[in-house]
Amino acid sequence: MNLRRIVTLVVLAVVLIGLGVLVASTVNLMPEEASVQAQMVDRLFRLLMGIATVIFVAVEGALVYAVVRFRRRAGDDTDGPAVHGSTTLEAVWTAIPALIVIVIAFVSFRVLAASAVREAEPVVVEVVGRQFTWEFRYPEADVTSTELHLPVDRQVRFEITSDDVIHSLWIPEFRIKQDATPGRVAEMVITPTRLGRFPIRCAELCGAAHAAMTAEVVVESGEEFAAWLEGQRGAGLPVSPGDLGRRLFSQYGCNACHTLADAVAAGVVGPSLDGIGAAAGSFVPGLDARAYLEQSILDPEAFVVEGFPSGVMPPNFGDRLTGEELQALVDYLLSQ
Amino acid sequence: MSSEPLAAPRPNWRRYLTWNTDHKVIGVQYIVTTFLFFLLGGVLAVLVRAELIRPGQDLVNGEEFNRLFTNHGSLMIFLWIIPVLAGFGNYLMPLMIGAQDMAFPRLNAVSYWIIPPAGFLMISSFFVGAADTGWTAYVPLSISAPDGQTLWALSVALLGVSSILGGINFITTAITMRTEGLTFDRLPLFVWGMLATSILMVVATPVLSAGLVLVALDRLVGTHFFTVAVGGDPILWQNLFWFYSHPAVYIMVLPAMGIVSEIFPVFSRKPIFGYKAIAASSMAIAVLGLLVWAHHMFSSGMDPRLRIPYMITSMIIAVPTGVKIFSWLGTIWDGKIRFNTPMLFALGFISMFLIGGITGIFLASIPVDLHVTDTYFVVAHLHFVLFGGSVSAVYAGLYYWFPKITGRMFDERLGRAHFWMNFIGTNLAYLPMFLAGLLGMPRRVADYAPEFTTLNVLASIGAFLLATSTLPFLYNAIVSWATGPRAEANPWRARTLEWQTDSPPPPNNFPVSPRVTGGPYDYGEQAPAKPLTPAPAAGK
Amino acid sequence: MTQHTLPHSEAFRAGKSLGIDHLKLGVWLFLASEVMFFGGLIAAFLHYKVNAPSSQAGLLSVPLVGANTFILLTSSFTVVQGLAAIRRGSRDGLVRYLSITILLGAIFLAGQAYEFSSLYRDGVTLQSSVFGSSFFTLTGFHGMHVFIGILWAGSTLLRAARGRYSKEDYAGVEVFGLYWHFVDIVWIVLFTIIYLV
Repeated sequence: MNLRRIVTLVVLAVVLIGLGVLVASTVNLMPEEASVQAQMVDRLFRLLMGIATVIFVAVEGALVYAVVRFRRRAGDDTDGPAVHGSTTLEAVWTAIPALIVIVIAFVSFRVLAASAVREAEPVVVEVVGRQFTWEFRYPEADVTSTELHLPVDRQVRFEITSDDVIHSLWIPEFRIKQDATPGRVAEMVITPTRLGRFPIRCAELCGAAHAAMTAEVVVESGEEFAAWLEGQRGAGLPVSPGDLGRRLFSQYGCNACHTLADAVAAGVVGPSLDGIGAAAGSFVPGLDARAYLEQSILDPEAFVVEGFPSGVMPPNFGDRLTGEELQALVDYLLSQ
Repeated sequence: MSSEPLAAPRPNWRRYLTWNTDHKVIGVQYIVTTFLFFLLGGVLAVLVRAELIRPGQDLVNGEEFNRLFTNHGSLMIFLWIIPVLAGFGNYLMPLMIGAQDMAFPRLNAVSYWIIPPAGFLMISSFFVGAADTGWTAYVPLSISAPDGQTLWALSVALLGVSSILGGINFITTAITMRTEGLTFDRLPLFVWGMLATSILMVVATPVLSAGLVLVALDRLVGTHFFTVAVGGDPILWQNLFWFYSHPAVYIMVLPAMGIVSEIFPVFSRKPIFGYKAIAASSMAIAVLGLLVWAHHMFSSGMDPRLRIPYMITSMIIAVPTGVKIFSWLGTIWDGKIRFNTPMLFALGFISMFLIGGITGIFLASIPVDLHVTDTYFVVAHLHFVLFGGSVSAVYAGLYYWFPKITGRMFDERLGRAHFWMNFIGTNLAYLPMFLAGLLGMPRRVADYAPEFTTLNVLASIGAFLLATSTLPFLYNAIVSWATGPRAEANPWRARTLEWQTDSPPPPNNFPVSPRVTGGPYDYGEQAPAKPLTPAPAAGK
Repeated sequence: MTQHTLPHSEAFRAGKSLGIDHLKLGVWLFLASEVMFFGGLIAAFLHYKVNAPSSQAGLLSVPLVGANTFILLTSSFTVVQGLAAIRRGSRDGLVRYLSITILLGAIFLAGQAYEFSSLYRDGVTLQSSVFGSSFFTLTGFHGMHVFIGILWAGSTLLRAARGRYSKEDYAGVEVFGLYWHFVDIVWIVLFTIIYLV
């Protein structure tokens, strides 16, 4: 290897590494960083992007260079040099990648450990995934909601399980997902750092409405969070029957699959319920609106609207709703 | 050694529809049958991408969508990639080692004939409520899935048997039927790839079979392997499934890497660079591949500390993979490169497999994985390695061995057109998916938030381009096979044994048993193309 | 139906440098795959034995099945004797020992059937618990393998009676023997983890 070759290689290496550093420090392919964990993961991700850029450009670059420089010249039917290998080169290109992956593994381990550090007195949220809604329970305050509220800058410990099939709780802006598996409770700790509303998505195929199994996390100040909890708790005594019905509509996940303007629901898995109060009495001869609605909730297969899938709406609302809740829900729908 | 021009072979199509123990017939049967399933799987993919070109559910509802991608994945994995590579192994291995046939020719035919009925079962599942729980069929969802799920499980189990029998045949053939002088350090790298793959087929597939038995029993007989209420554990299925399905991805790629290892020396007119390292890396990947499976389960709720060793093994497996890529680069470096279609696809393989491989390292890192697992990032990664990688290699092999198998030459211009459509289509279809996954789009969704629309439009256009790219290939393959110009025995001037006999080879492959005196990649010798086998000694 | 023009001729056996017979290698590989299959079922059984223990396991009868195990072990011994017989050239010896093997295998299956039915009477079924599911599946598949082994033994016996094997050619008996020993070894593992531990 002559001096010129060495200099070329060094210059190339410097340029490549510079490119890697540039990419690592400027390219941002992730959503907003809204948690402590997101900041750690993104730093690791940028490191990986930098390394990936170097490897990608080096190898693809060598490939393109070789393909151009070493193309067969017209009329040349001879063979190339009888080179079978080079022990030094092979040792180098085995050792360097090995070193790189060991470093990556080590850094990943550190980030993993740091992102899972448990603090004292986190906000505990029990999460139940159920086809096709998320239910969030705050055991201390005895509050259950289908919307996740969290105080900013305080660690929350999720205890996640499922009632039926495997789901996966994923908040992209927080950067961690955790499967919700029936029969076991999995834990996940997050410390949100940014105020705002962020989407929650289900990330494990769970049935026909997997794509619709979404929710929202609201990250707010400590005071707003406490006020919200208070409001939810007090919601055992709704101001009006309509309020109770509307709350039940969300609580039991009807909003995931049905559209209902009054409940700010935009689900498209099942038929729209706008105007259902006036229409429900005309669907089945002999069944008035109340009877139709009750049966449709307790036995979803009874009257499947054409164009909509059967076997999707949970058949067990009869076990889950109390008598009063069923009445309140039907009253509410009749008023729409 | 044949040098007199033979009459153009008349393709006898009927031969391929019957029971036949000739490995060359079986190889073609495998390749053609699996290619049909590839096309069917591709149709399903086009339907998926047509649905996803816009948010909202326009073409199909959620249930139907789940059936589409479940059967797309299952067809592609179990009825296309794994068996088509076995088909290549079947056709080529005996020829490459100078043998007359595989060690167990009748078992070989059985392995093939399992495939059409198994494929029929999987397709017929559509008519009884198709499988709709993904090719991964996680429990408990797949326990309560429609009846088609049982047919799916039976189909996969049958295909597993075919694979295991094939693996037994390949290992026995490679070890006991090499011709004289063909020592292990002269074994073509494709054969090494098939050997490594076959170990995985024999060792890993039965574990999936066991898991499928448990699922079938729960569904049909009411056992409680996965009944959560009485102690059943969904994670058990994940372990049994992935114990096979991770090595399965190496089953899907090791023979493909073997194919490109054959092509680079021929079209650079240079020896393969680092033969021993490439052979060793195939075996290393096979062994390591059995030790990484839980990296598919990082978010499953498995013991968090147990994830660490799997991260380490998953990272380490990048090293032998990298060795191959660098060795291939070393092979073409300073060579005399010709850009026939097989070489184009082989180069495309490196370029696209590299992206798949690099993103695999991202996935191996647990903190990054916890964000991108089960998202379109994974969909992009897997399609870069399996489509950009393995399928490119399959095409490379189809073009490379086309003259050997059919005795005719394909059309180069159509081949080139196919390559560029394939290369552009693959990158356009799958690069946007990385971004979609990072930004928050989960996988297996029939609908998505509007912010992902542009990325999905790009991906769908790429997919449609890919679908169209099969047309020049099909036209080329069919018309050239029927009426293409007569090919000589060794149009590529290659040195492996299959090229030292007629195109197509006679029924017993070699009129006389060859005797090997040198390596298969000894290009660059001063004397022009020294024959690999000297005139055979009398009586051998 | 198209046939090959040449059978496996010795000329093509030139690469036997590792000195391994292809039939035996094939069977060893097949047995390796069977080991992995049982491995999956064993993993399921052990997972639930540890994580979802059941009182139903107390209804297993160690003495009965212990005796049955002894019978199966003896049948492996008779297979060895049969192989030794044909190695000496004794066709009658092979026939005799194969017959005893089949008898012992049948007794083993009868013993298993008895164990299964008494468990069923006591309420331990495929559907009664995770233990029932995993116990019957694991031992059931083993029983299936014994049954197939008995059929194989029968066909080997018939061929032996017709003089198919000799002092020079007994590979078919060896291959059967490999399978039978494998079934026996699997049972030893099963008996240990199900009944003894």
